[in-house]
Amino acid sequence: MGNFFPRWTNWLPLKLAIALAFIGAGVSMGIAYYFTPKYTRVGYEPTQPVPFSHKIHAGELGLDCRYCHSFVEVSGHANVPTNQTCFNCHGAGKGNIKSASPKLEKVMKAQETGQPVPWVKLHKVPDYAYFNHSVHINRGVSCASCHGKINEMEVVRHDQTLSMGWCLDCHRNPENNLRPLDQITNLNYQAKDLDRAAFYKDLLAAGTPAGDIAEVILGGKPSYDVKGVEDLMAIAEKKFGKDVSQLEVGSQLKKHWQIQPPESCAACHR
Amino acid sequence: MKRIWHHPEEPRTSKRYWRSTAELEQRSEFLKTSGIEFPAGDTLSAEEQENSRREFLKVMGAATGLMGLGMASCRRPIFNILPYTDHVEWVIPGKPLLYATAMPRAGGATPLVVTTYEGRPTHLQGNALHALGGGIDTFAQASILDLYDPERSQKPMMSGKVADWERANAVIKKVVAESKKDQGAGLAVIVGEVKSPTLSRLLGDLKKAYPQALISRYEALSSGSAALAHGLVFGNGIQPVYHLGKAKRILSLDCDFLGLDPIAGDHIKEFAKHRSQNKSGAEMNRLYALENRFTLTGGMADHRKPLAASLIPVAAAFIAAELGESSAKALAATAPGSLTDWLKPAIADLKENAGASLVLAGSRYGKEVHALVAAINSALGAFGKTVDLVQGDADAAASAFSEVAAAVASGKVKTLVSLTPSNILFDAPDASSFGKSIRDKKVAVIHLGSSVNLTARKAGLHLPAAHYLESWGDVRAADGTYSVVQPMIQPLYDGVNEIEVILALLDKKVLGPVAAEEPAKAGAAATGAPVVSSATAYDAVRETFGSLVGGIKEDIWNVTLRDGFLKGSAYTVAQAIVNSSALSGLMADAKAAAAPDAGAYEVVLTPSSSLWDGRYAGNAWLQEAPDPVTKLTWDNAAWLGTKTFRDLGLKEGQMVTVSVGGAELTLPAIEAPGHVTHSISISLGYGQKNLGYVGSDTKGKGRGFDAYSLRKGESFVLTGATLTATSDVYELAITQEHNTMEGRALYREATLEEFNKPEYTSQTGMDSHIPPNISFYKGQVGVRSETNPAGFDYQNEHQWGMTIDLSKCLGCTACVVACQSENNIPVVGKDQVRKGRIMQWIRMDRYFATNEWGEGKADSDDVNVDPTPEQLEGAEMVMQPVACQQCESAPCETVCPVNATVHTEDGLNAMAYNRCIGTRYCANNCPYTARRFNWFDYNKRPLDELYWGPLSTPEKTGMRESVKLQKNPNVTVRMRGVIEKCTYCVQRLEAAKIQQKQKQRDSKNFRIPTDSVKVACQQACPVEAIEFGDLADPKSSINKMKASPRSYEILKYIGTRPRTSYLARLRNPNPKMPGADKIAVWSAKQI
Repeated sequence: MGNFFPRWTNWLPLKLAIALAFIGAGVSMGIAYYFTPKYTRVGYEPTQPVPFSHKIHAGELGLDCRYCHSFVEVSGHANVPTNQTCFNCHGAGKGNIKSASPKLEKVMKAQETGQPVPWVKLHKVPDYAYFNHSVHINRGVSCASCHGKINEMEVVRHDQTLSMGWCLDCHRNPENNLRPLDQITNLNYQAKDLDRAAFYKDLLAAGTPAGDIAEVILGGKPSYDVKGVEDLMAIAEKKFGKDVSQLEVGSQLKKHWQIQPPESCAACHR
Repeated sequence: MKRIWHHPEEPRTSKRYWRSTAELEQRSEFLKTSGIEFPAGDTLSAEEQENSRREFLKVMGAATGLMGLGMASCRRPIFNILPYTDHVEWVIPGKPLLYATAMPRAGGATPLVVTTYEGRPTHLQGNALHALGGGIDTFAQASILDLYDPERSQKPMMSGKVADWERANAVIKKVVAESKKDQGAGLAVIVGEVKSPTLSRLLGDLKKAYPQALISRYEALSSGSAALAHGLVFGNGIQPVYHLGKAKRILSLDCDFLGLDPIAGDHIKEFAKHRSQNKSGAEMNRLYALENRFTLTGGMADHRKPLAASLIPVAAAFIAAELGESSAKALAATAPGSLTDWLKPAIADLKENAGASLVLAGSRYGKEVHALVAAINSALGAFGKTVDLVQGDADAAASAFSEVAAAVASGKVKTLVSLTPSNILFDAPDASSFGKSIRDKKVAVIHLGSSVNLTARKAGLHLPAAHYLESWGDVRAADGTYSVVQPMIQPLYDGVNEIEVILALLDKKVLGPVAAEEPAKAGAAATGAPVVSSATAYDAVRETFGSLVGGIKEDIWNVTLRDGFLKGSAYTVAQAIVNSSALSGLMADAKAAAAPDAGAYEVVLTPSSSLWDGRYAGNAWLQEAPDPVTKLTWDNAAWLGTKTFRDLGLKEGQMVTVSVGGAELTLPAIEAPGHVTHSISISLGYGQKNLGYVGSDTKGKGRGFDAYSLRKGESFVLTGATLTATSDVYELAITQEHNTMEGRALYREATLEEFNKPEYTSQTGMDSHIPPNISFYKGQVGVRSETNPAGFDYQNEHQWGMTIDLSKCLGCTACVVACQSENNIPVVGKDQVRKGRIMQWIRMDRYFATNEWGEGKADSDDVNVDPTPEQLEGAEMVMQPVACQQCESAPCETVCPVNATVHTEDGLNAMAYNRCIGTRYCANNCPYTARRFNWFDYNKRPLDELYWGPLSTPEKTGMRESVKLQKNPNVTVRMRGVIEKCTYCVQRLEAAKIQQKQKQRDSKNFRIPTDSVKVACQQACPVEAIEFGDLADPKSSINKMKASPRSYEILKYIGTRPRTSYLARLRNPNPKMPGADKIAVWSAKQI
């Protein structure tokens, strides 16, 4: 019986194994990257039926988010405004602003026919995830934390992954995203823009004992007596530096507003 | 290590609790399936086998291949957001909006609060502001499904064929023209028993316009005898209103006032309040019941005697005679000795509590019974105390239904307008000859109804009725309180209501959608005829309202709409005395009845706990809600006492033929413990044909059996019947042996004296010797403290808990249906129920109990003796609702391979449906058998094609559009292959927490206001048996209930630490009654 297989086949199993290993690694890496919300969702920027510019309205004109998304503080849904809201400014006989613009044609038509403008949904969590806007907005989480800087977007873009892991990151460490309630819809907010003295004064004014505040700053029991704002400023500056940091604000708010985001399934899945 | 828990055997020398006689006698058919969570080995029908697994795989393979070719699934689906163009007042997308309204019903309105989301009603609850508000019954709870029923009537029909509104209006025009000409001679109008002031006013107008017209009120189950009797003995229009809350002693003569025979008067929670006591010496009410079959009232009774329905008048006469009513003496003399022995001490007790005692009679008994009961209550000094007499509204619908039937038979009626919710050609007394004379005399029938039932199909003109949630109306509650019925939604199918039809008959309205009115108006204008100003039901109701409050005052109108009722509009109390000559006149006609025997059975026709008089046949929730007593779903059957059943040698579901008065009905028989021998009870309303899948099965052959066909006269008790067995056996879907729990002392009860002894429930059963080893299943348990760092956080979290008071629970299944409505629970169909796959999260366990067997008594040592049939006739009936117990140390959680069921911070046993892969390990490991598995896509597939998989008929596949509207948007609609179970309405809890956080903002005040959240079953419970709340809130009422000495946990000894606990049932026996020593003897024997 002669050599049935030619000589080069001796290395074939090894070559195959190596090739398979590479293919396997490639596939896993491919899935890990391309099949995740980070790839499939972030950057999604569909064309909307009406070329509404958030950059002009929320950025340049400085309209508050809640002017249009009016129920975001009371409802789970951040509602898309009705035509009437558009017409407060653009309606003929009302604000009359650019009411003849061809860009507004579909809005005008919707008003005539009563058929709503079919806006394209951008941020979509699965049906079995029950996200609630109001509870976040009322408790120190800004619009910008999930939607990005909408005020700089000509066309709205999917900014964050909105994956479950991403939700849990914040639910486990909420201090990274908490801010004072008057800054919720300030999309340009940065912790360093805050006035440290005013921040601690507000906390003290809300009845929080200075000792408790100091305890959070120091991450443990304060070793000395704190009297007022000056003492707090001093220890905070020592700990966080000259500028107010996000961690400094977030950890105070988390403690004193009793922010304890649920981490169990039932919080979002029912 | 596999460990099988051997539940300690219950000592059989004590009272025995059992679900079926098969369990009691440990027969093989019970032992075969007992303890198996998912009974295996069903056989598929020939049809199902056609679509075998292999077939399925072939199709699936092909489908997957095609999907791959098209790559359609790789495209990102585009979703649109469609905002309102004009903003809708009050609507906040995503937030529920609640409106008050009332459900019009024969016995008086049920005040309701409706939850709506973006304009679609999704859930009903009682209106707590209303004097008669509170929990609601199964029918009211389920009535929302009728609104969305895809099989309901949607278009006008003429002689069974679909027509349009124009032709419908033409028919009505013709009737109007004729009636105007003939002063209404030949016109007969039948309306329902609903007390609607607007309808009454319009009927008055109708009578004025057409004085010759016959106007009658008719509903199949509303016998006029009570009203007739009260009219005779008290005076015209005077009716009693009963105060259950004030009655310490109640005797019911087959009056199921807690169940299917509601009385005018207090809400039944007032009765239940006096059943739930915790301190020794506290006063309880006492209920005596006489009835031929078990009803919910009989189950609640302290003393119950099974008594043939034919003897109820005799019992009434005996009580009256004992209380000194001489005219009743003749009839009383015929009372058998066993009855008088039982009645004498009861009467003495009633007398002792004169002024606080009450006797009630079933509404369908003859007028002599009601007259006697009026005399009895008068003799007991009840008037002004436990009974008030009120003056009702004058009514233009004065003719009896029998007059109309006679007029039809004699050919005097040319047009019959049926506006009653009953199905007159199906359920009228002697319906077949009534139907025949309508056919023979060529009576034109105009029928208004919500389903395409027999009358609708036979009628010359059928009009689709609007649901009460889609139309304007008004109604009085039992005490006379006026409510406006306001619509929640535009009529889905252009239906009209009875007010609008009367307006049309008065020539004031053109029926149909607004568009239909336009051509009519245009036509009128073109011909120069005067334009009909189309009146609306809204205007008519406003006009009535104006007459009630003296001119339409917008502020009062708005407050009435907001609150759901008009303050101070109850009937005024009238002074009346019993007219004894009228009573003697009635008694002279009363005939003595013999007890039924083997030669002459009695047949008792009863309302159905699912279909009422048949009108809810199309309601799938009700069809599948197990009957509280027999646990039968989707069918009716002949209930037979054990002795009758065994004498005939019957098997469960074996067909028997009942013949009475020339009519014959063959239907399956079931053994009903507690039922009188030689008596047959059959519930009405079943057996309707061609109502669609839910109402009549796929082939339209009808579900159940038509007991109306036996009824040839007015009476609901038929005597002189014969009963013969046939050899056929019918397949019934009975849930009583499904999902059984094993273990000891599941149900506990005792007397008032006994439960305050320290050794009561806490030391009963196995609880007295639980080993120190807490649990096999380790986990987070108890209150977090320094010694228990792994415990639940009571400082910073809510901790939910529930108690169910068995002293109050009637077993009415309102909670089951409320849960179904709130939690989007699917209906599975009869076939699946038979396989033990019912999905309802709450299982209403019904146990029968006996404490006597064989020759000996409870303490007989011979445990192998079974009770005799006679002893089973005296069985007691108790109820225990069981849903997920939310164990802190939950056996289900430890076995889930994917962590789909885990514990939350607030003590819930959460269920993440999206994570569940359907191993069913959790269900197998649940000692309470509280978990349900979606064997099929019940929401997506038609129930008669479940086994077809993707081959199911495309137009029937997918959830019906109208049914989608009912779904609660806050609860996931589960798919196939997923386990589900009670979650304590987690969506409500999360909503309450979120609402509190909206208020909390930058404070620490996270705890929701005490007792501010209610779960759906608690809200529905008509007797307030369910308490729910935050265990971590010291002020909450749940903590008070948990502190009761009656509180116990079922299967406590296995260490699951459930968050739901039960309060043991109290009994209040009268020591002088025969057999009193055997009631609640149980606890002493169990230690």
